[in-house]
Amino acid sequence: MSYEGYVIAAYGVFMVVMLWDFFAPRIQVRQQLRAARMRAARNEKGKATGPRPPEAPLPRG
Amino acid sequence: MNPIVRWFHQLGSPPYFERFAARWAPIAYGIGLLVMAYGLYGALFVVPADYQQGDSFRILYIHVPSAWMSMAVFGLMAVYAAIALVWRIKLCEILAMACAPIGAAFTLITLATGSIWGKPMWGTWWDWDPRLTTELILLFLYLGVIGLYNAIDDRRNAARAAGLLAIVGVALLPVIHYSVTWWNSLHQGQTIRLFGQSHMDPSMLPPLWAMVIGTHVWFVGSLLARARADNLRRESGKDWVARLAEPRT
Repeated sequence: MSYEGYVIAAYGVFMVVMLWDFFAPRIQVRQQLRAARMRAARNEKGKATGPRPPEAPLPRG
Repeated sequence: MNPIVRWFHQLGSPPYFERFAARWAPIAYGIGLLVMAYGLYGALFVVPADYQQGDSFRILYIHVPSAWMSMAVFGLMAVYAAIALVWRIKLCEILAMACAPIGAAFTLITLATGSIWGKPMWGTWWDWDPRLTTELILLFLYLGVIGLYNAIDDRRNAARAAGLLAIVGVALLPVIHYSVTWWNSLHQGQTIRLFGQSHMDPSMLPPLWAMVIGTHVWFVGSLLARARADNLRRESGKDWVARLAEPRT
């Protein structure tokens, strides 16, 4: 009457779901911070290159 | 102004909440983990096997706390959603939506461990019993809230729509709780009581209460961590998020 396999399976499910619950928000926070970092870098790059010069008119004829 | 009221007002500020959640989530996770480790040790190695169910009854120590959490989290989600709908508090929208995946996780654990426990005790993995069926509907409600929140582009409208579903879904909670009383059920009746005499031997109870407390504290950590992620997503264009993302020198 040990039912060891059932006990291990149940506790295994518990552990897996709790691990997911721990790591999922951490991954989301990292993704958001990485996206913010990339956005900031893109803005800096845009400032450094300055506004684009007006395009030259197409030659006629 | 009253310091507690002032603190609540401050907590509504996204940068303040970010600092608060980043500080307290790891602490709550840590305390929850320690208390659950104590409970799991007691459940697996200290309490004696049940005279009828043998060792399979040890599944109770994860099944019952998860089942309680699955309902408590839904109730809390509905409270946050109601506050968000009435007073339009953005933080409450975030907290309500952060509750959904955690509650779904606990409901999934409840159903899976119940099924695993049911096989040796009832001779079947699943039965369309009132308690099992209503708990499955609870999982679908959680998935509905998550799906609705992610299906609408505007975060605030999405939170309001999903929050409304959460508020309506609260009607299911008493049905789950009293399902073993109202109908003939394969599931056993209430054996553990918060108040009054439990039908369990007192030597078996301390790990259970440790697991109940541990899962609650863990939930606080998870709620803060998930709310933090959603808060950052909503505020992604703001200067304070850009400053936060700057590499530290």
